[in-house]
Amino acid sequence: MRTTEILVALVLASCGAEQRIEPEAPEVIPATRDETRGKHLFQKYCYQCHPGGNQGLGPALDDKPIAEAAIRTQIRTGVGSMPSFGEDWLSDDQVAEIAEYVTTLHKASPARTAYR
Amino acid sequence: MRAVYVASVIVVAGCHQVPSPRGGGAIPEPAEKAARATEPSPFDIDVPDGYRVELVGDKLTYPTGIAFGDKGRIFVIESGSANGPARLLELTPQGTTELATGDHVPWTGIAYRDGALYVAEGGERDGGRIVRFDLPDLKQTVLVDNLPSLGDHHTSGPVVASDGWVYFGQGTATNSGIADRPEQHDIPCRDVTLAGTNFEAGGTSTGAYLPFGTPSEKGQVIKGQLPCSGAIMRVKNTGGPVELVAWGFRNPAGLALDNGALYATDNGYDTRGSRPVFGSADMLWKVEMSHWYGWPDFSEGRPLTASFYSEGDGKPRGFLLADHPERPREPRAYLPVHSSADGLDFTHGEAFGYPGSAFIALFGDMVPAPVGFEIVCVDPRTGDIAEFARNHGDKPGPASLKKQRGFERPVAVRFDPSGRSLYVVDFGVAGAEPQPESGRIWKITKEAHHADD
Repeated sequence: MRTTEILVALVLASCGAEQRIEPEAPEVIPATRDETRGKHLFQKYCYQCHPGGNQGLGPALDDKPIAEAAIRTQIRTGVGSMPSFGEDWLSDDQVAEIAEYVTTLHKASPARTAYR
Repeated sequence: MRAVYVASVIVVAGCHQVPSPRGGGAIPEPAEKAARATEPSPFDIDVPDGYRVELVGDKLTYPTGIAFGDKGRIFVIESGSANGPARLLELTPQGTTELATGDHVPWTGIAYRDGALYVAEGGERDGGRIVRFDLPDLKQTVLVDNLPSLGDHHTSGPVVASDGWVYFGQGTATNSGIADRPEQHDIPCRDVTLAGTNFEAGGTSTGAYLPFGTPSEKGQVIKGQLPCSGAIMRVKNTGGPVELVAWGFRNPAGLALDNGALYATDNGYDTRGSRPVFGSADMLWKVEMSHWYGWPDFSEGRPLTASFYSEGDGKPRGFLLADHPERPREPRAYLPVHSSADGLDFTHGEAFGYPGSAFIALFGDMVPAPVGFEIVCVDPRTGDIAEFARNHGDKPGPASLKKQRGFERPVAVRFDPSGRSLYVVDFGVAGAEPQPESGRIWKITKEAHHADD
């Protein structure tokens, strides 16, 4: 048998509320029903390439302002390796809901950057 | 005066908290500075407010799984490398103690139930196995062997149900159904009829489910058999014949039970080999008995004939099968492309918050951009995914790349029996220059509010 040294769990002092640093970044809370539905659609169709709005297989979406109309167009037409999502994938209403949600990602972005 | 610990009054439903900037939880500044003088550091890991990160195991060599036994015992397995050595360890506050060694590496997972440990042995060179270790003497019983793990993906799991069935995964031998080298080809679980599409590579032509250099013909039937590739199977905890649970997976790397329902992570296709597929997500499936989940002709329930999968260097070139067993269902969650979604576990009640949610270890990949290297929380009812624990900073990445001392490559997660702490198995430095003894075990705990009475 062999015993390997490990670092024992660090003893962390208990911490009261006064010691806690509250996150400066608010959670992205969709404000409208469309944004809530847009979040679910985003998770299904977009998240895999733009995880959390960040860069993945596709570019980051939360680091720049993008007009909703441009987002809708890009979803419908695709660009580069991004596929186009035709009406057999998403209805016009669903595209609009995704576009509205994507704009909220950017709204939260400055605060997120500040605390990281 | 007696301290009274009051459980957090905030019951967090769903996955919507964001990691706070203070990895390791909130601590007094001097303690944090002292901790930063040593490596590694939980303070480089961001978690939501109200959670604390600790390092509880270090200098492990490619650990891949953790299990909790009776009386607080904690078991860990090494090695997730095909070069071994495989070891069963007990983790204690004083360190690790070696309990057993083995072969059929890499070892990929461990589970405990009713006085026995169950280990998934990946068997990259000599076939996968599921082995039961009876405590306390650790007598070994091979429940199933010669699993088809000689190709690209290994045997995985296991999870043990209350009725004594041991569920395990078996990844495919190839990326997308076409062998790219002589020693690999896939085995269907049930009869399949081929479309007759062949792929040219290495000066030869190869068809689906056939050995390298063997072309297929339209209408050719490949007989199904067990054990098979790309499947979840089960065997009794006393051994016996293997049964098919579900098939059509690519690499069901992680399995977990939640209130009797079986869930699996599944690694999507790669853009490589003679049938590269672009943009295939990793997935979380709810596994239904006997269902077919789409490999080698669907990804995330979507047909590979969709133009998206042919973008970039993707060339799936249509279907390999003339007929499909059924139209695959949709996954419960679509995880990032190439994130390598591996081990998962579900919360037990409300002790950790996020009731009913799955926590998934994303091992991570670097191409085309760093993605993964974190723990995500998934609400399987809605498919919503939220980051839960990740290295500090605005981009994901392994600690070695980010010049930090947090996560390297999370490969498995497991809640302790209390349900209050999530243990994260960190594989350590992998890739072109893997580093032995760089693996770690992290513990993330929901802090209890503390008051004096």
